[in-house]
Amino acid sequence: MALLLNRFPVFFRKVCELIRLTPRRNRVKEKWAATQPKHPPTRLALQHFDSSYGAQLGPLWPSVRVALLSERKYGALLNSFSHDLVLEDLQVQGCRDFISHQDRLVFGAEEGSCEVSMTSLEFLSQQQYPPQLSPHLKCFVFPRGDVTRFKPARPDRYGLLGYYLMDAASILPCLALDVQKGHTVLDLCAAPGGKTLALLQTQLIRYLCINDSSMSRTSRLRKVLHSYVPKQFLTDENLRITSFDGTMWGEMERETFDRVLVDVPCTTDRHSLTEDDNNIFSKSRTGERRRLPQLQLELLLAGIAAARPGGEIVYSTCTLSQNQNLSVVEQAVHFAQEKHGIQLQVVSLKPLVQKFRNTFHFAPELHLGEMVIPHLAANFGPIYLCKLKRLP
Amino acid sequence: MNTEISFCALHDVQRTKRLSLSSLLEMGFTDSQARHICDSVFEIKKESSVKRVLSTLTVLFVLGLNPTSVQKMLDICPDLYIVKETLLQQRIDHLRKLGLVEGSLQRMVVHYPKILTVPVKSVKNVVQFLREKCLFTTQQVTDILRDTPAVVLEDLLQLEYKFQYVYFRMGVKQAEMVKFRLFRFTLDDVRCRHTFLERRGLYQTPDKKGQTTIINPKLGDILNVDQDTFVSSVARASAEEYDIFQKLLARECKEEELLQGRVEAYSDEDDDGDDEEEEEEEAKGRSGYEKRRKKK
Repeated sequence: MALLLNRFPVFFRKVCELIRLTPRRNRVKEKWAATQPKHPPTRLALQHFDSSYGAQLGPLWPSVRVALLSERKYGALLNSFSHDLVLEDLQVQGCRDFISHQDRLVFGAEEGSCEVSMTSLEFLSQQQYPPQLSPHLKCFVFPRGDVTRFKPARPDRYGLLGYYLMDAASILPCLALDVQKGHTVLDLCAAPGGKTLALLQTQLIRYLCINDSSMSRTSRLRKVLHSYVPKQFLTDENLRITSFDGTMWGEMERETFDRVLVDVPCTTDRHSLTEDDNNIFSKSRTGERRRLPQLQLELLLAGIAAARPGGEIVYSTCTLSQNQNLSVVEQAVHFAQEKHGIQLQVVSLKPLVQKFRNTFHFAPELHLGEMVIPHLAANFGPIYLCKLKRLP
Repeated sequence: MNTEISFCALHDVQRTKRLSLSSLLEMGFTDSQARHICDSVFEIKKESSVKRVLSTLTVLFVLGLNPTSVQKMLDICPDLYIVKETLLQQRIDHLRKLGLVEGSLQRMVVHYPKILTVPVKSVKNVVQFLREKCLFTTQQVTDILRDTPAVVLEDLLQLEYKFQYVYFRMGVKQAEMVKFRLFRFTLDDVRCRHTFLERRGLYQTPDKKGQTTIINPKLGDILNVDQDTFVSSVARASAEEYDIFQKLLARECKEEELLQGRVEAYSDEDDDGDDEEEEEEEAKGRSGYEKRRKKK
């Protein structure tokens, strides 16, 4: 054969060109147009959101839309392990810690008015608040309407960075988790590590279990932790980093943790609208996107199973989509009851909303959980969070 | 006649003042107006220009302007004092040739006297640019000049960018641009309002058939209203939002420019000698290519 090829090279090349492997019926005549219509995933995402959120949010949607398409705001999660005087520096720049800010003012008014008209159940859930927030947890933001940016954080003399820049609304699930001293906590989908870091900043956790299904993401998470937390806090006795499939957790460690944070993968709305690469709305990832609600449900169920009776679970996403938020929680509560016989109670997050309503815009009238919606003046979010308590 | 007299007597400054004062009065200025003009002329202090003033004024009067409006023009644009009579006449004739009829020509000149200080050649350039690069009809160019004479002094590259932004991004045709006086507004203004609407989902770029899935607001509704009306009734937003949006967009644009390199950097190539430069480049490229071959 080789000899033949050598002898009649031109002839064979022609034959090879003629015989195409695809059968005739499947051959497609190529278009001659110089420019094929292109549909970048960001535009597909926008179309998708326009149709679904337009109906869901109604008149609120235009202002959410413009905020999503404009530059986001950051919050600086202060690293309490750092030795530099970052705090004063940030205050000089004009930002403030929104967690401790106007703390007393709101709660003084709240307690007086609430105790009068309340059913016993509501009172129970209310009583947990004001949540005993750790004094170490500080997150700085620029005031409403201020569009100044943070400078990148600098390392101190031990190589630890002064603050971690993240969406300030991402702190809310950590605050809602209400970690107490001596708790064991599971972070089921931890990467890239902002929320995990916030949990570690509280310095209350006895044992923290960090998981993310992707190996590369856990290694990145590990790097983040090493550049923010001193080594003595990252020992095997108080920390475990794994990359298992989170949905199997219920079978591995049942009824173990006091607190479980289930921050599931979702159609990260802001990212999908701004970045074309690694976008979940690209044509090749349609299937993955369709399976998201199912995956989220499985993760939440696993998280519920991993919590011990009396433990609390916080479910959070960074999308506005009802299918990925309310529906998932509703189904999970239903399934947990039907299939696993686990009784769950939805914990009201109203006190949290009351406390932070000057910093974030919350979606009005959600019958389950709370949602931060982006707004140009306070361009944080979107973040959805819902808290469940496993009844003993 | 008046001008003759004053020309003869211009050697002595004192006499000039007196003479031109009286001649100004004869031309129809009131006493205070004449004094005012004299004062501004002597501020210029250039002997030759002082000589020209009366002839310049005569040209303006021949155009059919009354003393009050002439004085107003000179106040707005003192440079007019030092323009030569012949040049002035040329420029006016050129504007007439461009299709500005009596009445609108006078109104335009009074409103924007600076146009008489612009050389005929640069006006020609702008007109040619509007017709060839932006494909405005002759009538439309006349309308543009009448409504927004300031275009003659704008940077052509900026003008082109503004036109293309409105034409391609907003999908607005030339006729509407003229009708709603697009060139009165700065690019930043147009872009900010349009982007705000677009991001709120209230404006879409039409496809090649000119279709959109929503009804876009008219260009006039976007531009020819004050900011409060625009924000509240067209964009249906709060003033706070638009305020912040302006800040954000300004920063975005600045960063984009930094990223792409200034637009003006290309201006030299575009204006003239396009072909020559291209050829030169090619030659350079070729020589570079040959050098590399030799090394091999």
